[in-house]
Amino acid sequence: MSQKYFEDVSVDDEIAPLERTPTAEMAVDFFGRDNPFNPAFADAEAGKRLGLGGALVPGMMKIAWMTQYVSDWAGPECFVKSVRVAYRRPDLAGKPLVLSGRVVDKREEDGEPIAELEVVTIADGQPSVRGNVVLRMPSRG
Amino acid sequence: MTEEAQSLITDEHRATIGRRSAGHHATVHEKDARRMRDILGDTDPRWADGTGMAPPYIVAGLAGRRPDMPRILPGGLLTTQEWKFTRAFRIGEKLSGYNEIVDIRERLGGRYGHSVLVTTATYWYDANEDLVASIFATYTQFDPKGAKKDEE
Repeated sequence: MSQKYFEDVSVDDEIAPLERTPTAEMAVDFFGRDNPFNPAFADAEAGKRLGLGGALVPGMMKIAWMTQYVSDWAGPECFVKSVRVAYRRPDLAGKPLVLSGRVVDKREEDGEPIAELEVVTIADGQPSVRGNVVLRMPSRG
Repeated sequence: MTEEAQSLITDEHRATIGRRSAGHHATVHEKDARRMRDILGDTDPRWADGTGMAPPYIVAGLAGRRPDMPRILPGGLLTTQEWKFTRAFRIGEKLSGYNEIVDIRERLGGRYGHSVLVTTATYWYDANEDLVASIFATYTQFDPKGAKKDEE
């Protein structure tokens, strides 16, 4: 994991796409087997009853992946200040998700060097979640 | 506009906005941090075992009460979500959570027909009563019959 500095980052910089394949087992383990969770996360039939065609991938797990994806790109001295997402389409367990990201803004906010990235998950060629991640970055200055 | 839709949001619903719940409590456990890291394949050294730190997404696994939301229409989908952090989570720390309805509004037209958007917040505070993280979520409530009709 390499470190990026505020001065190294430019608007329109892209993060290399990353593929993840969520499974129903991952979804249940993510929240912990002792904790309550939506049955549609674990049971393909429950998902089908909701008209989804299979087990549903939890939104929280997708945000977690987005957070990790951007954090890995920025390096260990960055701090994720916020992640905001809009769920466009449900994602189904067992289908690959491709994360991609791009720097959309770079600014100083309350004296802090900030980079903002847009992150999208793509499934079957279509965006399923769109998000913005705001990072505080280290500065060489 | 040929037909004026009647608002589905009552004074009783509006009165729930801004009312903060009683506190509920959660502890940041190392086993939860490890389990979530392993599932996501996260090898970030900042929150490896023994560092005393937990990754930000542990907020998704904090046990606590979900916000009580007025149920205005029968169908519901989580449509937007936001996590905000003021500092990293520490393994072993005890947090107090408070829920709140932030906003209730409605929308006419679109794929869900006449829908109601309810935004909730959960605020997590540490033992010094400093805010550590906030989760905002917007649920779109809709009548599946209205949504179906809209798509036809």
